[in-house]
Amino acid sequence: MGYVAIKGGGRAIEGAAGAAEALRAAEGEDGRPLTLAAIEHQLRLLTSRVVSEGGLYHPRLAALALKQMQGDTLEAAFALRAYRSTKPRLLETPVQDTGRMRLIRRISSAFKDIPDGQMLGPTFDYALRLMRFDLAGESPETFRGIARRFLSQVPETDLPDTFPKVVDALRAEGLLPPAGQPREPAFDITREPLVFPVPRSAALATMARAETGSLLAIAYSNMRGYGDVHPTIAELRVGSLPVMLPHPVTGEPTEAGEVLMTECEVVAMYEEQGSSSVAGGRKPGATEDEGESGGPPVFTLGYGACFGHNETKAISMAILDRALQKGMRDGPSNPSEDPEFVLLHVDGVDSMGFANHYKMPHYVTFQSDMDRLRTTRTKAGGKAAGRNDEGVQS
Amino acid sequence: MTLYERADWARLLCAHPAAEVKQAASDLAYRHTVEDLTLPQAGLGLMQLRDSALRDAYFLGEIPLARAHVRVTTAEGRQSEGGAQLLDDRSGLARAVAILDAVLAGGLPGAEAVVPLLERGRERCEALAAERRAQLAATRVDFSLLGTTDEEDEDV
Repeated sequence: MGYVAIKGGGRAIEGAAGAAEALRAAEGEDGRPLTLAAIEHQLRLLTSRVVSEGGLYHPRLAALALKQMQGDTLEAAFALRAYRSTKPRLLETPVQDTGRMRLIRRISSAFKDIPDGQMLGPTFDYALRLMRFDLAGESPETFRGIARRFLSQVPETDLPDTFPKVVDALRAEGLLPPAGQPREPAFDITREPLVFPVPRSAALATMARAETGSLLAIAYSNMRGYGDVHPTIAELRVGSLPVMLPHPVTGEPTEAGEVLMTECEVVAMYEEQGSSSVAGGRKPGATEDEGESGGPPVFTLGYGACFGHNETKAISMAILDRALQKGMRDGPSNPSEDPEFVLLHVDGVDSMGFANHYKMPHYVTFQSDMDRLRTTRTKAGGKAAGRNDEGVQS
Repeated sequence: MTLYERADWARLLCAHPAAEVKQAASDLAYRHTVEDLTLPQAGLGLMQLRDSALRDAYFLGEIPLARAHVRVTTAEGRQSEGGAQLLDDRSGLARAVAILDAVLAGGLPGAEAVVPLLERGRERCEALAAERRAQLAATRVDFSLLGTTDEEDEDV
């Protein structure tokens, strides 16, 4: 057995690229290439997935990656990550305050009345999942007038651009633990490997660029019973966060641009302040108002956030954050509480790469497997023949 | 010269198409001497947030970043420094904004041509803010009314 060379592979690979490109343009003479602006805006939620899973907020490049990869979000995120790896890191931003987000959507499922009210914003949450066949034959003229007509029908309003956070109100009421001081510098997952145990900031960063479906699947396992988070959404926000950087001359915080993002806080089961274990109710012997440790019980929180508009991801991340907090403190009692299980299996580029590497030639290793199988069968056949001989003789 | 804070200039200027900003800076660079105090760069920034549950700092991901720092000197020898850091991957745009920043900050000749750009930029920013407010205003909901309407009663 020896090395199996792939003769003519270069030509075949070029041909494969050409074949894929031909399918992209299969409409032929009637076709029009997708513009990046069309992908970025009309497929905005798809673009959102790619910016968050690629870990780089560049909607225009995400649109290009989607066009190049013909709609494959995993490959598009891969391309975006490959692009970022060619760029120099110029700075780490100062800590940005998401309370400054300029919102387009803000809801709470925990409270009917939240300060400054709830706004559904652009959502399909309450829409019937019926096919809109009128979109199939949409005329450019009708399409171009949609946004204008919407804006003309909405009266002028003096709503603010930013809104207070629901969790801040809860905290002011003493229903949440008081906001503590930052515990440690943020962990940079792009420069440091995940060696467990990892700080919570590593978990948040890993989940922020995780693949949406992977996060959802593990969070769903917790929701269905392999866990006990029982979340209620304190607040889900979508909006543009102004990124403030020091001015090169004055040092004064200056808006460098905006990042569209989704942020979610879930309220979970309450526990005694400073307790070492999560409690769904009070410990034996403790009063209703006071836990055994002396501090009154407070709700616990889970936090999720990601680039772009991706609510499923932010909610899933918030649930997993809360599950991982418990697992990091008390040890995991199910997969969604195990940092190693969760954080090493939610990255789309990693997992897609591993799954797809099986398509690459494994001729040498498989040849070895075949040799071993033949040898084993030969030996087994020899033994069986021996046994048969013994049987005949006996 | 302008009613706007310097911290707002970059935002207002970047509300315009890049070509318009570059053209304005090019006109000023033709008139004055522009010296790069640091080489204009384009790369990435690592964006840091604080989570609202436990107040931990963490990195959400990376953003494109372009930056420039220039000194503009007039023919009469007046000087002013300008700079810009933008969420963009065009170092040329950052340099253009830095030039406009320097001219505005120093009140150098040509600044009067930049002020209208700020004003129009404010209008564009305000229009965007109005679109966002419309998204909110059109979808404002009062869930405290749940269960109080006839429709809800019928369901019950």
